Amino acid sequence: MSETPGTVLHVANLGISYRVGKQWIRAVREFQIEVKAGQIYGVVGESGSGKSTAATGIMRYLAANGRTEPGSVIELLGQDLAARSARAMQDVWGRCMNMVPQDPAAALNPSIRVGEQVAEIVRRHEKVDRDTARARVVAMLRRVRLADPETIFDRFPHQLSGGMQQRVVIAMALITSPQLLILDEPTTALDVTTEAVILDLVRDLIAAEGAGAVYVTHNLGVVAQLCERVVVMYAGEIMEDAAAADLFARPLHPYTVGLLKSVPRLGQTKREMALQTIPGRPPSLTELPEGCVYAPRCPLAIEICQTKPPLETPAAGRLVRCHRWQEIAAGAVEVAYEDGGGAIASAGLEARSPLLHAAEMTKHFAVSRSLIEVLQGVTPTPVRAVDDVSLHIQKGRTYGLVGESGSGKTTLARMIIGLENPTDGSIDLLGVDLAPTVRTRGREMLAKLQMVFQNPQNSLNPYLTVGQAIRRPLMTLRGMARAEADHEVERLLTAVNLRPEYAARYPGELSGGEKQRVAIARAFASDPALIICDEPVSALDVSVQAAVLNLLARLQEEHDTAYLFIAHDLAVVGYLADYIAVMYLGEIFEVGYGSDLFAPPYHPYTEALVSAIPVADPTHQSERIRLSEDVPSPRNLPTGCRFHTRCPRKIGAICEDEAPPWRDDGDGHYIRCHIPLPELTALQKSLLPDHERDA
Amino acid sequence: MWRFILRRLGFFVFTLLLTSVLIFALTRVLPGDVARVLLGREAGEAEVAALREELGLNQPLHVQYVEWVRDFVTGNWGLTFSRPAQDILQLVGQRALNSARLAAITMLIAVPLSLLLGVIAGLTENRLPDNTISVLTLSVVSLPEFVTGIFLINILALELRLFPASSAVSPSATFEEALPSLWLPALTATLVLLAYITRLTRAGVIEELKRDYVRTATLKGLPYRVVIVKHVLRNALIPTITVIATSTGWLMSGLVVIEFVFSYPGLGRLLTFAIDKRDLPLIQAIVMVTVMVILVANFVADLLYAILNPRISFD
Amino acid sequence: MLFFLLLALFGPALAPYTENNQSSPPREAPSTAYPFGTDYLGRDVFSRVILGARSIFLTAGVGTLIAVVIGTFVGLFIGYQGGLLDEVVGRFIDAFLALPALLVALVILGIIKNVDFAPGSWQAAVADQSVLIVIALVYVPIVARVVRSSTLDIKTREFVQAAQIRGEARLYIIFREIFPSVVPALVVEASLRFSYAIFLVASLGFLGVGASPPTPDWGLMVSENRGGLYQLAPWALNFPALAIAVLVIGVNLMSDGVKRVFQKSG
Repeated sequence: MSETPGTVLHVANLGISYRVGKQWIRAVREFQIEVKAGQIYGVVGESGSGKSTAATGIMRYLAANGRTEPGSVIELLGQDLAARSARAMQDVWGRCMNMVPQDPAAALNPSIRVGEQVAEIVRRHEKVDRDTARARVVAMLRRVRLADPETIFDRFPHQLSGGMQQRVVIAMALITSPQLLILDEPTTALDVTTEAVILDLVRDLIAAEGAGAVYVTHNLGVVAQLCERVVVMYAGEIMEDAAAADLFARPLHPYTVGLLKSVPRLGQTKREMALQTIPGRPPSLTELPEGCVYAPRCPLAIEICQTKPPLETPAAGRLVRCHRWQEIAAGAVEVAYEDGGGAIASAGLEARSPLLHAAEMTKHFAVSRSLIEVLQGVTPTPVRAVDDVSLHIQKGRTYGLVGESGSGKTTLARMIIGLENPTDGSIDLLGVDLAPTVRTRGREMLAKLQMVFQNPQNSLNPYLTVGQAIRRPLMTLRGMARAEADHEVERLLTAVNLRPEYAARYPGELSGGEKQRVAIARAFASDPALIICDEPVSALDVSVQAAVLNLLARLQEEHDTAYLFIAHDLAVVGYLADYIAVMYLGEIFEVGYGSDLFAPPYHPYTEALVSAIPVADPTHQSERIRLSEDVPSPRNLPTGCRFHTRCPRKIGAICEDEAPPWRDDGDGHYIRCHIPLPELTALQKSLLPDHERDA
Repeated sequence: MWRFILRRLGFFVFTLLLTSVLIFALTRVLPGDVARVLLGREAGEAEVAALREELGLNQPLHVQYVEWVRDFVTGNWGLTFSRPAQDILQLVGQRALNSARLAAITMLIAVPLSLLLGVIAGLTENRLPDNTISVLTLSVVSLPEFVTGIFLINILALELRLFPASSAVSPSATFEEALPSLWLPALTATLVLLAYITRLTRAGVIEELKRDYVRTATLKGLPYRVVIVKHVLRNALIPTITVIATSTGWLMSGLVVIEFVFSYPGLGRLLTFAIDKRDLPLIQAIVMVTVMVILVANFVADLLYAILNPRISFD
Repeated sequence: MLFFLLLALFGPALAPYTENNQSSPPREAPSTAYPFGTDYLGRDVFSRVILGARSIFLTAGVGTLIAVVIGTFVGLFIGYQGGLLDEVVGRFIDAFLALPALLVALVILGIIKNVDFAPGSWQAAVADQSVLIVIALVYVPIVARVVRSSTLDIKTREFVQAAQIRGEARLYIIFREIFPSVVPALVVEASLRFSYAIFLVASLGFLGVGASPPTPDWGLMVSENRGGLYQLAPWALNFPALAIAVLVIGVNLMSDGVKRVFQKSG
C-alpha cells in the first residue's frame, strides 16, 4: 500500500456522483488526500466546489441519491472503506472516525438531553454501564471547557447557546478518541469571538489526541491559522494541494492566486488598492467545460487549456492542476485579475458636509405580558435593542458599523431607513427633521434613503423581472414615464456590470452575485444621498464578494453617495469604510477613522474582535485575546459598562457600577472606557509582536 | 408552565363562549320567530304567542342569552320540545355514553394501527410499502362515511354476514349487549380516522428523517433501529398527539353520519333527530356538549404536548 | 376527474331520461335500457347519476371558489397588517377552526331548512343556495389561516421591505409583491378544500339537509333508497355511492398531484 507510517487517512481517485432526475452529476472527481496523525488538513473551496461532498464521501455517508464511483480508494488506518456497506460502517462511525457538522443546533436531537447524546456514543462503542458513561461524558464536557458540566449534562440543546452547542458536538466527536475527525465548517454559524474560542479548542484537542483531521471551510483565514496542509477545490476537482505556508507564500494555481487577492486583508482600504476580482461564476456541474474547469474564468487561459490538465507534482508534497504552473512558478507570467479600475482616486479624508445626524436613537422591544403580570400590574423589562445611540454621516462617505449578532446594528439601521419605529430619538437629513417611519415620510425623503439587503435570495421578488424591479423606483420615486424608465434601467444595469438583456430575466435565473448587483442598481435608481448596506456581501462567495465591494466603491465615487455599511466582518468594513463605529449590546463603544480601529488604542471589545479574526497568513501570530462567557441577554443588561462581564481589561468595581465616559484623542477617535487612552495604548502595544509595535 | 396552562385555558373559555354565542345566534336569532319554528306552520297565532311568552322570547336578546347560558351552566337544560318530552340532560347523557363507547372502540383500533402504518410509510418513502399505504389512505381520506359505511355493510354484513347491518340497539343497552352492533360502525369510523392520522404521521416521520441530527446519530455508529426508535420517532410522534386530538373533531362529525347510517342511538343520531324535529333546545344542548368534548380533547393534547416536548419553555 | 367534469358539462345531453321522469317501471334491475336500474319511483338511476354530477360540481366548486377568494383577502390583509387586528381575527379563526365543519354546516342548514321565508324574498334566494353559502362560510377561516401564515412568512422577506422603503401603497405591496408568492400554497389548499367540499356536499345531502327531493343529488339518492328499500333495489343506492367514491378518490389523487408539483417547484 502507498501508506506511510503515521498515515491515518489515505484517499485516492475518489469520485462521488448524485443522481438528479435521470442524470448522474459528478460532484467530486479524482479527489485525493493523505492525512497523518495529529495533522489538520484544510479543504477550501467556494460553494459548489464539492468540498463538503468529499468530506461526507470520506465518511461514507451520502444522501440516498449519491454513490461512490467504482475505483475510489478510502483507507482508514489501512482498512479499505470504499466498498463497505452502511451496516459495516457502524463499527467505524463513532469509534474510528467522527464528524463535527456546520450547524450544531440542527445536529443535536432537540428532545434528548445533551449528556445522553454524548453518552450513547460511549456506551455503543465501549460497552460501559450508564454511570461510567456519565462520568466519562462529564469529564469530556469539562475538557471542551464547558463550565459546570454536571448541569450541562441534563440540559436540552435549546437551553444552550450556539457556542456551547458546538462544544457539546466537539465533545461527542472526540470522546471515543477517534483516529480521524472530519470538521465541516464548524464555526461558520458562530460569531467571530466565539469562532476564535472554538478554533483554539479544536487546535488544542486535536494536538492532544493526536488524531488526524480534515477541516472543510470557505474561509482562507481559518485555514491559515489552523491547518498544516491545504487542498484547494474548484468545481469538484483539486486545483492545488500544498503545505499551508507554501500555499499562502507561493500559490501556483491561478485560482488560488485569485482567491488570496480577492479577500481584503485586515486594515487594507479602498484608497490603497482595489480588490482583484475573478470574473464570471463557477460552472454548473451539469455542464462542465471541456478542458480545464477553471479556464473560462482564468486570466492565463490559452489554447492548451481547452484540454484537461493533469494533476502534477511540482515539488515534493505539492500538487497542482494547471498547464502553466511552471511559468507561474518561474515568475514568467503574472496572474493578474481585473481590479475594477484600481484604487479610489480621491485619497483625501477631509471632512465633508454633514448629511445625516441620528440623535439618541433608542429602540426597546416590549416583551409580551402574561395574564398574571397584567393582573399584578408588572411591566416586564423590555429588550433594549438599541440604547441612546447617535451617529453622524457625511456626504459621500462610508460609515461602517460593526458588531456581533445581537449588538443592535441592524435595528439601528432599520430605524434610520424607517422600517422600525424608534422608541426615542430624532433623525436629521440635510437639515430636515425626518419622520419616524416610511409610512409618514414624503416621497422626496424616501428617494434620498435606500437600502441593500443581506440575502440576495430574498431581496428580489421572484415573480418580478429584473427590469420591473429596477423600473418601479424610477417611476414612483423619480416620476419617470415608462419609456424613460426603461432606458434608465439599461443604464443602471450597465453601471453594475450587467448586460441590458438582464432586464427581461427573473431572479431565479441569476447567481447570488448577480442578484446583489441588481439590488444595488435598484437602490441607486432613485439617486439616493445615503444607502444603507446591511451585510451586503456576507452571503456571497469570496470570489464574488470582491467584485461587489469594488462596485460599491466605484459607484460611490461616481454618484457621491454616502453608505451606512453594516457588517460583522471587520476586514470588509475596514476596506470600505471611512469611519467605523463598534456596537455591543445596543451601544456604541468606539468611533473613529477606518484606520484607527486596527491599531492601539482601541476599546477592549474592539481589541478582542480584531484579535479574533483569523488572518489569511500563516506567519501572522495574532495576540489571542479571547472573550469569556456568552453575550448577556438584552433583557437583563449588565450594570455599569455593558461589556464588563466579558472584558479582559476590567479594572475593578467602577466597571460594574458606572457607565464609562467617552474618551477623545482630539483627532476624531472616541473610545468609551474607564481606562484612559494613553494607558490603554500602553497595555495593548505590549501585546503586539515586535515588528508591528511601531506601526 | 402555569402561564402556558392559563393561556390554553383562556383560549378554551374564549372558544366556548364564542361557540355559545354562535349557537345562540343560530338557534334563536337566525330562525326569526323561534316559537313559530317550534310549532310548525299549522299552529294558531295564539298558540305561538303563548309559547313565545313561555320561552321568554319577548325579552331583549342579551337577557335571553344570559339566561340561556346560566341555565346551561347550572345543568337546568329543560325538556325536549318534541314529544314525548324527555329531560334533555338525561337524554343527552345517555346518548353521549353510547357515542363514547363507539368512539373508544374506534380510537383503540385506529390510533395504534394508523401510527404503525404512518411510521412504516414514512420510513419507506416512495418505495412499495409507502406507495401502497399512501394510495390507500389517499383514497379513503375525505370519502364520506356513509359511502364507506354502505360498502362495509354490503360486504361484511350482507355478503359475509359477519356483523348485523343495522346497529339499532336499545338506547339503554349495556356495553355487552351493544358490542356486536358496535364493530361495523367502529370499523367505518376507523377507516376515515386511519387515513387522516396515517397521512400526518407519515409526513412527520419524513420531515424528521431529513434533519441533521439523524446524520449525527447515524455517524455515531448507532444501529439503524436505535437511530429510528430513539432519535427519529421521539420527535416525529410528539406532534401526532395534537393530530389525534384534532381527529376527535373529525370523529365527532363522522359519528353523526355513521350513527345515522347504522341507526345507532348515539349523540350524533340524536342530533339528526333533533334537527328533523326542529327541537331547538335539544340541538343547543347537543352542540354545546360536542364542542366541549372537542375543546377538552384539544386542551388535554396541548398539555401533553407541552409536557412531552422539552422545546416548549414555560417561562 | 376530467371525466366527471365532462359529465357535469354535458350531462343533460348524455342522460337518456330526464331527472324526474317516472315513466319507467319502478325497481327495475340494471339492464341495457336502464344501465344502473331504476329506483322506487321508477326513475332511471343512470340518468340521475349523470345529472347529479353537475350539482355536486357546482355547489362544491363555487362554494370553494368563494371561500378561497374571501379567505385570501382576509388572510392577506390580517397577515400583512399584523398587530391587534391580526391578533383578534386570528383568535376568532382559531376558535372557529376548533369546531368541525360538518357539524357547523349541519346545524346551520338544519335550522335554515325549517324556517319559512317568503317566496321570492332575498332570504329565500339565499336559502336556496344555502349549501353553497355554508360551504363557503366554513372554509373561509381555513383558507384565511393558510394564506395568513404564508403572508406572515413572505412579509419578512427583504423584497417586501424594499417596497416599503420605496413608500409603496399597502395594496400594491399586498397584491403585487406578496400575493404571487402566496399562490402556490393557495392552489394546494384550494384543491384540498375542493375535495373536502365534495365530501361535505355529499354528506349533507345524505343527512337530508342539503338538496331537497327530487333533486338528483348523489347523497340524497343514497339516503332516499336506504332502509327497507335497500334489499329490493340495491343498485339505486350503490351506483350513486360508487359515483361519490370514484369522484372523491379522483379529486384526492389530483390534489395530491397538485401538491407534489408545487412542493417540487417551491
